[in-house]
Amino acid sequence: MIRAMIVINNQGKPRLSKFYNYTPVEQQQQLIRSIYSVLCLQPENVSNFLEGSSILGPDSRLVYKLFATLYFVFVFDSSENELAMFDLIQVYVETLEKCFSNVCELDIVLNYSKMHTILDEMILGGQVVETNSEKVMQAVEEISKLEKVTAATKLISKSASLLWG
Amino acid sequence: MALSGMRGLSVFISEVRNCRNKEQERLRVDKELGNIRTRFKNEKGLTPYEKKKYVWKMLYIYMLGYDVDFGHMEAVSLISAPKYPEKQVGYIVTSCLLNENHDFLRLAINAVRNDIIGRNETFQCLALTLVGNIGGREFAESLAPDVQKLLISSSCRPLVRKKAALCLLRLFRKNSDILNVDGWSDRMAQLLDERDLGVLTSSMSLFVALVSNNHEAYWSCLPKCVKVMERLARNQDIPQEYTYYGIPSPWLQVKTMRALQYFPTVEDPSIRRALFEVLQRILMGTDVVKNVNKNNASHAVLFEALALVMHLDSEKEMMSQCVALLGKFIAVREPNIRYLGLENMTRMLMVTDVHEIIKRHQAQIITSLKDPDISIRRRSLDLLYGMCDVSNAKDIVEELLQYLGTADFAMREELALKAAILAEKFAPDLSWYVDVILQLIDKAGDFVSDDIWFRVVQFVTNNEDLQPYAALKAREYLDKPAIHETMVKVSAYLLGEYSHLLARRPGCSPKEIFSIIHEKLPTVSTPTISILLTTYAKILMHSQPPDPELQNQVWAVYSKYESCIDAEIQQRAVEYFALSRKGEALMDILAEMPKFPERQSSLIKKAEDTEADTAEQSAIKLRTQQQASNALVLTDHRPANGAPQVSQLGMIMVPSTSNVDQNVVDQPLTHSNGTLSVVDPQPPAQDHAPAGDILGDLLGPLAIEGPPGVSPQSELNNVPSHEGTLGANDALALAPVGDQESTVKPIGDIAERFHALCLKDSGVLYEDPYIQIGIKAEWRGHQGRMVLFLGNKNTASLDSVQAKILPPSHLKLDLSLVPKIIPPRAQVQCPLEVVNLRPSRDVAVLDFSYKFGTYLVNNRLRLPAVLNKFFQPIQVSAEEFFPQWRSLPGPPLKLQEVVRGVRPMSLGEMANLFNSLKLMVCPGLDPNACNLVASTTFYSENTRAMLCLIRIETDPADRTQLRMTVASGDPTLTFELKEFIKEHLVSIPTAGKPPAPVAQQPQPNIPPIASSDPGALLAGLL
Repeated sequence: MIRAMIVINNQGKPRLSKFYNYTPVEQQQQLIRSIYSVLCLQPENVSNFLEGSSILGPDSRLVYKLFATLYFVFVFDSSENELAMFDLIQVYVETLEKCFSNVCELDIVLNYSKMHTILDEMILGGQVVETNSEKVMQAVEEISKLEKVTAATKLISKSASLLWG
Repeated sequence: MALSGMRGLSVFISEVRNCRNKEQERLRVDKELGNIRTRFKNEKGLTPYEKKKYVWKMLYIYMLGYDVDFGHMEAVSLISAPKYPEKQVGYIVTSCLLNENHDFLRLAINAVRNDIIGRNETFQCLALTLVGNIGGREFAESLAPDVQKLLISSSCRPLVRKKAALCLLRLFRKNSDILNVDGWSDRMAQLLDERDLGVLTSSMSLFVALVSNNHEAYWSCLPKCVKVMERLARNQDIPQEYTYYGIPSPWLQVKTMRALQYFPTVEDPSIRRALFEVLQRILMGTDVVKNVNKNNASHAVLFEALALVMHLDSEKEMMSQCVALLGKFIAVREPNIRYLGLENMTRMLMVTDVHEIIKRHQAQIITSLKDPDISIRRRSLDLLYGMCDVSNAKDIVEELLQYLGTADFAMREELALKAAILAEKFAPDLSWYVDVILQLIDKAGDFVSDDIWFRVVQFVTNNEDLQPYAALKAREYLDKPAIHETMVKVSAYLLGEYSHLLARRPGCSPKEIFSIIHEKLPTVSTPTISILLTTYAKILMHSQPPDPELQNQVWAVYSKYESCIDAEIQQRAVEYFALSRKGEALMDILAEMPKFPERQSSLIKKAEDTEADTAEQSAIKLRTQQQASNALVLTDHRPANGAPQVSQLGMIMVPSTSNVDQNVVDQPLTHSNGTLSVVDPQPPAQDHAPAGDILGDLLGPLAIEGPPGVSPQSELNNVPSHEGTLGANDALALAPVGDQESTVKPIGDIAERFHALCLKDSGVLYEDPYIQIGIKAEWRGHQGRMVLFLGNKNTASLDSVQAKILPPSHLKLDLSLVPKIIPPRAQVQCPLEVVNLRPSRDVAVLDFSYKFGTYLVNNRLRLPAVLNKFFQPIQVSAEEFFPQWRSLPGPPLKLQEVVRGVRPMSLGEMANLFNSLKLMVCPGLDPNACNLVASTTFYSENTRAMLCLIRIETDPADRTQLRMTVASGDPTLTFELKEFIKEHLVSIPTAGKPPAPVAQQPQPNIPPIASSDPGALLAGLL
């Protein structure tokens, strides 16, 4: 199963974290810190997999992908296929892209709740629930309608796009 | 797309982002938390929008690592709000801040259930997401049926159903009883016919969990999985949006193939053919293309297909095709593929017959050892380690040594250990082994543990031919300008013992040896100084007639350390000084160290332990077996602290006729030729030279394979079959020497394993270096079904496998046919049907034998089909208990006994013990708090279901005695139960006791149970 989904920026700031097994908040922070300390030392052109046992406990793997300034990280156990997890990061980011078009770190920071909504439509209880980003978007839009967004949408200045940056 | 537009939240996040340091951030966060707290206190004034805004702020703060410990109650109460916005807030915050152990969560169960059974789909989704993420046992019990209904409902939208599937999976993990296997397997099969790929993907995840738990129940689903694979592989009826970069849902393909790996095999020939066709298509049809994402997706599928092919043990041709593919992958540019290629090749090592093909890629694998990516370097080290054998050991070990100089610090220790192990396991000759270890110490002294140099000392001590060579090598290293302290230790030790063998060579006179070693003394630590002092004494001893100049030099050293603050050094200095004045007498006292007794290499043991840790990742096959039976999993969890305890006690052979727990025997005994003797727990080196004590102790836990005094030639012959003796007992110390050659020592304590299995239904019954026997049992009334899992741990097959059951008269046992041969690395399952005819404490014995090479191993193992397996705990109320108790007036139906010599335990511990024996403790029945009442139902063919009542009266002043009253409607049952409880009260098997009573001896044992009744024997002893 997927144990956690974490988004960290290249300064080590968490931007999104969701743990699918109960993890106390201190431990979450500890894990995020140790993951970052490994990721920030990764050279370019290396594989996206890391043996996680030393920091994440037995039988854990980690796959990450760096988009512009953000690391997207999945922590999972050996019951999942590494490359499939890697693809899932891509699907998540592509969905964000559909949602924000030219998504950048600031979108993600300021639309913290939306990130969660999208994630919940893709992963439930540590298992993949939907891999089709169209379907995810439909569900997210339905929810948005229900939320009856009244407040005027604030346009957010973009710095760099994730997919294109 | 509209943004969620919570301006307050964005502003807050921006402000937090703008904080210059952690201190500012904390201030800002504290201020906000204070604000939220006050706003929540006066909840009436909050609009749903505001509530939501605050909740997201709380979650953001939580993510930053601050504890948010308020608002839980409010969050939970919002779940029952009627409108979506408030309800959503309730669900979001509950699922983020609370966990399944939270008391508040219980309060929500009803509200959550109302949403699940309600008609509103969005509410259903919210509820399912919450339960799927944090639902606990109580949720499982109260919500499972409703969630099931949603999943199989035809009127629900896929959006709800796919969430229901995963929600059910979570609940199933919390309590596997929620899915009734018989009824559910048909439903599951229907679910796998689902057309909607979203629902099918979730259902497949659920199915993987179910099938990994119990594949037997789901055979009917296997063809459905193959159908799904066919549908995906042929791209039939796959909506465009479910193809990912042109690949039909790679996630579903991967999950489906994962599910198939939990079935031991695919028997139906037509289904097998269909599956192999699909697999072949995947293997052949995957090309490396330009688009990275497409590549990843297609290779995700491909690697899973490879794993499935390995699992299915397909024909050799297909296997070679797989290896060829992997060979291609490990050389591609894409690092992810390279990584997975190496990893899968390591898994491939588990498959027979492909070793040779894998070896063809050795050069490429060695290249990967220098890859810029540490993950890849690690994988390649694992692979090299796994593929090493006698034929390529020299090449591989030399590569590792070479790499050691430049390797990352993070990997050096592992690298050094692996090189040392491979050198030891596969050394083509011993001088090469010595070379390798000395090079290791030279290149990476900091990473060479003491174990490694102890080991080389042992080899040299036990092999006379090696001694001059080793001494010479040690002497050469001393010439180097700066050497590691470990090198000083090992050289000093070897030269102290054997430098006289070099006496005629230049630079090797006692004086020269002394001075070159003595040069190092100022730079070394205290423990090394002790070794050096001993070396000096040995050098003096060997220079006969004494050289006065050398003598004076050494004496000067000794007198300098006579007043050393370190007691060890001081004592040595004083004693050696006195001894060395004795002239000739010195010869006897400081004689050469005796040969070391033969024991398992602690290095290799260490390696096995680390292997056990990683086994799960490195072997798909193993994983499947582990899932099929807990048996293999358990070996990984051998208590780490067990080993040292046992190794101090030594390997003990207890008389095989005694089936009594060794716990009553308070001293370790050996049994050889019928005489009992107390084993001296110290290694023999102790007796010889006072000089040897430190080393003797240090070396105590180590050993070398093969009988002592074995000629180098036969030692050499032993090498390839090292694996044979590797896994031997944790107990590394002494064993009666005569038994060694033909004995395969069990791993772990057989008696302990048996006792553990008496209390649980799955685990390892027996293990030795070649085989592991696991057991999984199910009991229903007076019947039971045990499955024996015979796992061959080696890369060669086990022959002449025989298993016979020696049943006691009260059990009817029917063992299905056991195959004569267990293929390498394979596991066979042998069901054993058990029927209990009448109450008895006799134990069934499994007479088991096999041949590995020339070893014939025969064992008699007690089977855990014991009295308590036929109990069904039952809670009785006072109204039921007392009439029953009174209706059984006295002997023989009700027996009372004062038991003495009880192992002291608290009442709570005793209650736990009773419960673990399936005797249910009924609190409150006995007004006296020092007493304990328990009840159970016993099943046998003769007695049918029979209620048993037990009362224990303890004496708080004297915990070693108690009065026990046992009653049932059958005199034999009453007696047997009384004795049974007594056995458990008097001696409870605990960890760390001396090893098994079922000693392994070449001659057949007398079946433990046939001759003696443990209860009677125990009673006699007391």
